[in-house]
Amino acid sequence: MHNILANLVSVEWIIYIASFGLILTGLFIVFTDKNLIKIIIGLDMAETGVNILIVAAGYIKGNTAPIFSKASLTPAQMTDPVPQALVLTSIVIGFGVTALALALVVRLYQKTGSLDVSKIRGLKW
Amino acid sequence: MVNPILLIVVPLATAFFIPIFSLIWKGGSKYLALLAALFNIAVASELLVKVKNGPIHVTIAGYKAPIGIDLLAGHLGVVFALIISVIGFLVLIYSISYIKGGWLDRYYALFLLLLAGTTGMVLTNDIFNLFVFFEIVCISSYILVAYNQDSHGLEASIKYLILGSIGSTLFLIAIALIYMKMGTLNMADISDKIGGIDSASRMLIIVLLITGLGVEGALFPLNSWLPDAHASAPSTISALLSGFVIEVALIVLVKLTYSVFHATSILVFLAVLGVTTLLIGEFAAFRQENIKRALAYSSIGQIGLILFALSLNTEAGIRAGMFQIINHAASKSILFLASGYMILKTGSYLYKDYRGIAKKMPVSAFLFAVGALSLIGVPPFLGFFSKIQIIMAAAATGSVLNLWLIAAVLLGTIIEGIYFLKIVIVMFSGTGEELSFSGGAPFGAVLPIILLGLVVIAGFVFLPYLNTVNTSVAQEIVKHLSLAQLF
Repeated sequence: MHNILANLVSVEWIIYIASFGLILTGLFIVFTDKNLIKIIIGLDMAETGVNILIVAAGYIKGNTAPIFSKASLTPAQMTDPVPQALVLTSIVIGFGVTALALALVVRLYQKTGSLDVSKIRGLKW
Repeated sequence: MVNPILLIVVPLATAFFIPIFSLIWKGGSKYLALLAALFNIAVASELLVKVKNGPIHVTIAGYKAPIGIDLLAGHLGVVFALIISVIGFLVLIYSISYIKGGWLDRYYALFLLLLAGTTGMVLTNDIFNLFVFFEIVCISSYILVAYNQDSHGLEASIKYLILGSIGSTLFLIAIALIYMKMGTLNMADISDKIGGIDSASRMLIIVLLITGLGVEGALFPLNSWLPDAHASAPSTISALLSGFVIEVALIVLVKLTYSVFHATSILVFLAVLGVTTLLIGEFAAFRQENIKRALAYSSIGQIGLILFALSLNTEAGIRAGMFQIINHAASKSILFLASGYMILKTGSYLYKDYRGIAKKMPVSAFLFAVGALSLIGVPPFLGFFSKIQIIMAAAATGSVLNLWLIAAVLLGTIIEGIYFLKIVIVMFSGTGEELSFSGGAPFGAVLPIILLGLVVIAGFVFLPYLNTVNTSVAQEIVKHLSLAQLF
């Protein structure tokens, strides 16, 4: 059973579907939800989806980490390290943006007493 | 020879140094920031002379492109670095007297981060590096919009953050797709390899990039954050955001379309989008009573005009667009800076309360009028020459669609003329007795406005020089990048 499944769907496809699922779910939450905290969670989900997509770009089945610890390893047996470096940067940026967004929401909640986008209407949304 | 990397490193390092420095000397941060901006002006103007012999290519940390990250300081990068540092420096002078409350050292640190980020965006030759600088710009502008920490600023900032993050997510997806398809992140290398990939993924990448950068560049359906953010931010920050931040996002978008992705077929769509943005911006500005909201919507209109000129697919069009960017940077900064003290003194955002302000603040009101007339395109101000160049360039393409678009641009100009003149007439009518405050803006705040005003008034003296520089920028944008020409 396990083997049949593995032949039908390759790991890459699972990763792609998962990442686009996360991105679309995240964006759906951002566009439909009214609660600011949930919107930020949605943004974070979308970001995670993109990060998975970038890692998937460098994934090669069965290959190992690109560390030259064993002399017998050839470059063909390694995965691409660049996407992983990119993802590290992207995670840090995402962390910063999320932290800032939550801080802003806390301040806005102190000022207006609400987290509901449709109730905070100092400006035209 | 000066290294273009200093343009990014110096403001970035100063920004990190400022919070520590303010522990030793409280209130010294503004002088550090001024020094960094002044340094950038000096470096950028020296590079402007050097760059005539061809773009300067900088390899960072000894790793050659396409593996390492590299900078490419061509005419485009250097001209923008100069615009950014000059506007940044003048706004910093203004900030010294205007920004009084809040965490001053954080303000100056974020200000410099904004300068470093925008400069990095135009200089870098690596698409992921572009994303990092883009995020630096975004995050520092989110915080600066909310600097006053009033509910309007916070709300505008959150709105900006949400839309901006969606934009960055799309941008990042585009980068992931680029790396999957081409295995490179270097712009010159992408330009070499883009021909080899199928047109569907090419289109998907370009659309994602345009949407991602278009949020920051305030293209029509993606710009609902702009009026709130620009109107709620402190006036100095509005001047920066309107003066060059959106333009930088736009020019990077256009540069990628022309010289990296060679997607000239999408330019017609961008031209129509530009004119739509223009009309929507001008019509919305027409209905505003809040002066800063009117100016913010006018920025949307101007961005549309600039995008229209840049997407004409001719050198003349890009030259005219660059010209309009320079004019808009100077004029819109004047308008935001001049209105800053008017708002502070009268305590009102509504321009109907400014009746007679020309008697109390003659210099500010006069320069406001100059900036407004230049944006409308009245001779002999700089805006007249840029607008006429745009229209001539559009007419020279000979396409029927462009003639219709010119008609729409002229309609937009008329609307723009009506609302700007309405504001200016209110300012210059009345005796000044309606206003209770005394004394105008301090000299430190008027000086930068006067200097910018001189650029707009006397700019036509430098017309031939501006044209040569803008032509070089246009040639650089139209030309396809390639790895071979870098070494």
